[in-house]
Amino acid sequence: MSMNHPEPSNLIRFENVSKKYGAFYALRDVSFEVKEGEIVGLLGPNGAGKTTVMRTLSGFFPPTSGRVFVRDLEMAKHPHKAKRAIGYLPETVSLYPDMRVIEYLRFVAKLKGVPAHELRGHVRSKMSFCGLLDSGHRLIGRLSKGYRQRVGLAQALMADPPVLVLDEPTTGLDPTQIKEIRELIRALGQNRAVILSTHILPEVSMLCSRVMMINQGQILASGTVRELASCLEDREAIHIKIKDKQDQDRALKILSLLPGIWNLKVSEEVRGETFISFETSPDEDLRPRITKLFVEQGVSLLEIQRLQLTLEDIFLGLLREGKLGRRFP
Amino acid sequence: MRKVLTIARKEFSSCFHSWLGVLMAALFFLASGIFFVILVLSYSKISMNPQQYGLSNFSGINQTQYIFGSFFSNLSIMLLFLVPILTMRSFAEEKRQETLELLFTYPLSDFEIVIGKQLGILLFFGVLLLPLSGYLAVFRWIGGEFDWGPVSLGFLGFWLLGAAYLAAGVFISSLTKNPIVSALGTFSVLLVFWISDWVDDVATGPWVRIFSELSPLAHYKNFTLGILDVQDMVFFGFFFFYFLFLTLRSIETRNWKS
Repeated sequence: MSMNHPEPSNLIRFENVSKKYGAFYALRDVSFEVKEGEIVGLLGPNGAGKTTVMRTLSGFFPPTSGRVFVRDLEMAKHPHKAKRAIGYLPETVSLYPDMRVIEYLRFVAKLKGVPAHELRGHVRSKMSFCGLLDSGHRLIGRLSKGYRQRVGLAQALMADPPVLVLDEPTTGLDPTQIKEIRELIRALGQNRAVILSTHILPEVSMLCSRVMMINQGQILASGTVRELASCLEDREAIHIKIKDKQDQDRALKILSLLPGIWNLKVSEEVRGETFISFETSPDEDLRPRITKLFVEQGVSLLEIQRLQLTLEDIFLGLLREGKLGRRFP
Repeated sequence: MRKVLTIARKEFSSCFHSWLGVLMAALFFLASGIFFVILVLSYSKISMNPQQYGLSNFSGINQTQYIFGSFFSNLSIMLLFLVPILTMRSFAEEKRQETLELLFTYPLSDFEIVIGKQLGILLFFGVLLLPLSGYLAVFRWIGGEFDWGPVSLGFLGFWLLGAAYLAAGVFISSLTKNPIVSALGTFSVLLVFWISDWVDDVATGPWVRIFSELSPLAHYKNFTLGILDVQDMVFFGFFFFYFLFLTLRSIETRNWKS
């Protein structure tokens, strides 16, 4: 169907899309395009508007203003045709627990308009792709989370939609399952437009050809993984655990005198043990120096470790410095 | 149309997936059987000695009317319990499990979803009525006689009443995320309909007339008496489609709420 386009076409297009819940803007003037063959990662903290983008795109609800196009079909004007072109995997994969896998997938295939004579083969091929051939007669309610995710992916693939919308496809899975799902997604992205949301940074660099960062309903940055990584990688976090609460003030004093430390904060206190965290640049490892100073001044140091910043940390940091907002070409 | 039937079929078979549907069918069959046996026994008791019951001329009592007329009137009370349980899952359960979200992203219209669900439940309700025809056979076998016309009208009326109640139940189910709330809500609404039939007995005036005209049971009564009135058919049709329309509107509200 999409073969007769000479060059990769825009399978997804958002034109100034806004979505309001009452007075609250879940999305504010969002515009972007996704071409065939692209896997686009939607990155952002919880509540940034990722799910709203996906629900608007999948036709679950219409935007308050703006237009959504799927394969150049406007969702509001041709909902049936546009929805046929989309496979949607929601964040919480909710399936009918009292149906059997094969029964459910046939139900979905019929609803998506797979012709009766192709039904068997079609359902079978999707089951085989998602590794479900042996579980066709199991009740969905008794499946593990990983298998339910596979059924969710299989239902999204029914009727071969050229656009895939995957909302946090790997959350709640164990590492082996995550690896498998990622491989499936990578294979799927070759001749489709895939848009997936996540808050796991490595996942983006592994899977996506392009990244869009979203916060408070707006796209803050968009670019290839490399471009975005260069913007993000100049920060690291150091976490320190000290034993006595009395040492806390002394430790904070030592740290505040060191150069190259930002966002110093006491993050937690559990059973007398205090956690202190702050951000540094990755160029210089401050750990030996801090350890030395602590030992010299008798601060009861239990642990000191360098961690990659979580996405939320980076976001907040970048927002503070006004670094976000620039667009990559 | 194929999509409507697909949803209807899923809805219908989900009644059998859970033991609830099977249990409801069994209970309904059991209770209606008890009604039937009691009516037959009481009829035979009267027929042995009509004078004792103040009846000089026994042939004046119509077998069809005495047994099947009362049978269908009694059955209508069972709907008060049956309908809330049959409809509580239809939308409330899907909302609770969030399975409705996916359904909305498929190439389906809201109308197809609502009609499909309604059809599935109506079908299940129709299947519940099938065993009742066994009573006719039993009645013949023990030597009873009945007229086909009034009995078929009784069945038709009962199915129409059930369809109307089910449409109301599905609407209430679409308002909530909680199947229990849906069942209780439906039960209360049906109770109001049931009571509105009594208003006639306790009061007079123009308001009373509105109440009694709106009572589904008043219209159902004609069917149990073996009277086919177009007004009653129109009433049930209107009742059914009105609640179908409300359900459709209630499903559409997702577009303007969150």
